[in-house]
Amino acid sequence: MDLAQPLPHPLRRPVAHVRARFRHWWQSRLPLRDVTLLTQRNVYILPTRAGFMLAATLLVLLVASINYQLNLGYLLTFLLAGSALVGMHLCHGTLRGLTLQLQPVEAGFMGGNTTIAIDLVSTRRRVRHGIGLSLLGSGHWTWTDVPGQGRATVHVAFKPHRRGLQPIPALTAETRFPLGTFRVWTIWRPASRVLVYPAPETWPPPLPEGEPRAGSAATAPMRRASGEFDGVRSYQRGDPLKLVMWKKLAKADELVSRDTQQAQRHLLWLDLANTGVALAHQGSGTQLERAISRLCAWVLAADKQDLEYGLRLGGRQIPPASGEAHKRRCLEALAVYGSAQDAPSPQPHGH
Amino acid sequence: MLERLRHLPRDTRDTLFLLLVIGWVLVPQLGRLPLWCSALALAVLAWRGVLAWKAQPLPSRWWLLGLLVLTIAATLLTHRTLLGRDAGVTLLVVLLTLKTLELRARRDAFVVFFLGFFTMLTHFFFSQTLAIAAAMLIALLGLLTALVNTHMPVGKPPLREAAVTALTMAALGAPIMLVLFMLFPRLAPLWGMPGDAMTGRSGLSSTMEVGTIAELALDDSIAMRIRFDSPIPRQSELYFRGPVLSTLQGRQWLPLRSSFPERMQDMPELQTRGEPVRYQVTLEPHNRPWILVLDAALDKPDVNGMELRMTRELQWLTDQPVANLLRYSARSHTEYSHGPMRRTVALQDYLELPPGLNPRTLQWASELRRDAQRVEDAPRLVDAVLQRLRTGGYTYTLEPGVYGDNTADEFWFDRRTGFCEHIASSFVIMMRALDIPARIVTGYQGGEINALDGYWILRQSDAHAWTEVWLAGRGWVRVDPTAAVAPGRIGSLQRLTAPRNAIASAVEAVSPAIWFNLRATWEAVNNRWNQWVLNYSQATQLDLLKHIGFSSPSWEDLGYVLLALIVVSSLLGAAWTLWERSRHDPWLRLLEGAARKLGTASAPLAPSMPPRTLAGLVRERWGAHDVRAQAICGWLLRLEATRYAPQGRSGAHLAALRREFKQLPWPRR
Repeated sequence: MDLAQPLPHPLRRPVAHVRARFRHWWQSRLPLRDVTLLTQRNVYILPTRAGFMLAATLLVLLVASINYQLNLGYLLTFLLAGSALVGMHLCHGTLRGLTLQLQPVEAGFMGGNTTIAIDLVSTRRRVRHGIGLSLLGSGHWTWTDVPGQGRATVHVAFKPHRRGLQPIPALTAETRFPLGTFRVWTIWRPASRVLVYPAPETWPPPLPEGEPRAGSAATAPMRRASGEFDGVRSYQRGDPLKLVMWKKLAKADELVSRDTQQAQRHLLWLDLANTGVALAHQGSGTQLERAISRLCAWVLAADKQDLEYGLRLGGRQIPPASGEAHKRRCLEALAVYGSAQDAPSPQPHGH
Repeated sequence: MLERLRHLPRDTRDTLFLLLVIGWVLVPQLGRLPLWCSALALAVLAWRGVLAWKAQPLPSRWWLLGLLVLTIAATLLTHRTLLGRDAGVTLLVVLLTLKTLELRARRDAFVVFFLGFFTMLTHFFFSQTLAIAAAMLIALLGLLTALVNTHMPVGKPPLREAAVTALTMAALGAPIMLVLFMLFPRLAPLWGMPGDAMTGRSGLSSTMEVGTIAELALDDSIAMRIRFDSPIPRQSELYFRGPVLSTLQGRQWLPLRSSFPERMQDMPELQTRGEPVRYQVTLEPHNRPWILVLDAALDKPDVNGMELRMTRELQWLTDQPVANLLRYSARSHTEYSHGPMRRTVALQDYLELPPGLNPRTLQWASELRRDAQRVEDAPRLVDAVLQRLRTGGYTYTLEPGVYGDNTADEFWFDRRTGFCEHIASSFVIMMRALDIPARIVTGYQGGEINALDGYWILRQSDAHAWTEVWLAGRGWVRVDPTAAVAPGRIGSLQRLTAPRNAIASAVEAVSPAIWFNLRATWEAVNNRWNQWVLNYSQATQLDLLKHIGFSSPSWEDLGYVLLALIVVSSLLGAAWTLWERSRHDPWLRLLEGAARKLGTASAPLAPSMPPRTLAGLVRERWGAHDVRAQAICGWLLRLEATRYAPQGRSGAHLAALRREFKQLPWPRR
């Protein structure tokens, strides 16, 4: 149901094609909003199958009342019909007046689940029962009740199919409360976009060798006994035990030593042109994706080892550094590389 | 146990509640169903309850299929058909209970609910009393509660919440029900009913065989209610005329089967004297094509929607069976004469006796007749026979036992006991043997007044059979031989009563007065129910329209009124929607208005932009020193102040701001 999905073939599946086109047209005219108040205009209602069953039941009850001339039968039929009519109104009222708010979206990796959190805010006094949220067309519903004059938060996960700054797919909220005879729903296209990092390669090759720093080729490493360290490197025989990062050992099962001089000696550059994936020419689909995916895995690996690393993506260069903010910057650059949104500082959050 | 009940898992609790509601729906039906069906229904519900309680899996579909086939076969065996009302009810109950064993998906639950609604309707085939209506109202609320509960998917909401929602729906639905009930055109049955549609409603019969009226006399239910508009005649004079039985075949009395062509039969020749009695009758449905009137009604009673005609024997027939509570007004005379004054050929019909029966009665008649040779002696003969009834040791009983073929002989000479039917039949046979034309009239006699609402009540136990004999110069004259046997049967409240149930007799034993009052109150309430709900017919609907101002309403007018109401309510709904939209925060609406004015078609401003940001935009566009910009910025900042720095009541400020809004120098678009 994604807008990006291709339309069915117009000749082979004409009905599906027309339906998809209609849906496409319909959804594209919905405004993009991060906060939406549900009103008469954007809440739709149609009877369900159970609703048609109830209508048939009412018809049979009415015919029986007419044929057997049962005044009490008329009363029963009309009371049921009246209740169903009120039920329709209650059903519509369950969504009408509700405010849907998108919480700021965390960036996620392609191939994994990205979770978006939505606040349902109700100003009326009565509880709103049985409201379900899902991605449009996914069929996976998350149900919640919204307390009177309160809010409820619903988490909906989706799997992005492309990296970069991606629109959040259209969401739908639905309720069948109280009788299940009517389906009341709304379709909502959030304005925010979510940043999707590339999928990290599952079994990446080891990190590339560092490049010697220009101008300071062979300075002998000078170990200091003080507590200031500039980097880490793999354990070498003879390293004093107090330089071994035991925490790393516990976490990653590898011996790493602190190295005060490493940064001066080698610079780890992760370069798109030097990933081991043969790139035919810039922007060629799957190969490029593989390279980006490997870079992503390397960024994560380097970050895990607390290494200092830089990133070269064609013309763009992120100077070596380390830490969470740096990792994020690199991942963002990887995410948007090659797309129109290849801008220095993408805004992943809503306003 | 109680503790467990409170902490049941949601599924178990919901299932048990649904079973309880279904049980409640079925209970009034259990007595009427075949025994196997009632037993099966209860057993299945109990079984399902145990499965839910122990959280055990449901039986497989094969089990259900097997049970279903078995029960269909049993239904076929019991009712000899699968169609028709009774077989349909049996099948419906079976389906409903078996479906509870198959509650797997949401769709199954819906099927149970809808079958439940049908089952509720089937009660009304048999009874439409106030009690059953109340029971079914509870059942409806129960089913709605269960239905609402299934649509609360989150957690384990208390049933009370669902019940409140159901109650709200029903309460708000009630006005809709009332309007539809009052205005939905009452149509004639769309197609013919199966034959068993109307059984089980008691009433007089068009034929009479020994024992028929004994059953009626045991029935304390109400046959008709009368509101007298003129003084009530004496109770002993209240004879409500029903079918007249004139032809005797063996021991069965039938309506007249004349051996003469139509033109030779006598005309009614009804002549009345004195003031008529005016009254209004509410007749319980008896599904027979006649109505009952007091004695002789010269004018056609005023019945809406039915064609009436009077037979030669003064009975009023309708063109269709009285299948519903029927209300009509009539004028009757208790003083009248009818029938030919001189002996005619057609009177021969009223002298026919089945050959070879009742030899001893015939013998006795010929002995009596030897003394009275002349026709004028007929009154004396009638008196002589009545005298024998009074003094011959005859008694009135509700349990006379089974008679043989010679019913009159057995009554006159052997048993000397019987009720009105035996007495009337034997009397008429004797009269005919005496060459006096005679016939049996059935109907209701007596009755009592309900002191609460002043309605005169006639019960099925007031059903009676009396006779008419033809006397020269006087025509047909009513003779009630039962009065001769048991004077108490006619004209007083003292009478044989049917056995009451335990509670009734207990109350009556303690205080007959309380019992009497309780019954009177209950019947007054019931009468209201009948008058306002059950008797609501097309005639009442048209009366209602007349009340509104239609001069000659038809059922199409009902449709128009209904349509008009629907249009009006939709318009009201639309107006309400508009009103609700206008109820949005007035401050926000003002801000949105400003954003609209400041935005351009190509670059609309977001409606949620705060006033200060808007002011900044304005300054940017026109420069901070522009007069227009200053005015607008000032207004925007004051708008902000009303919201975020409230001093005093913001409403007054808002009103002022709204006035200013209209005068501000907004840019032209």
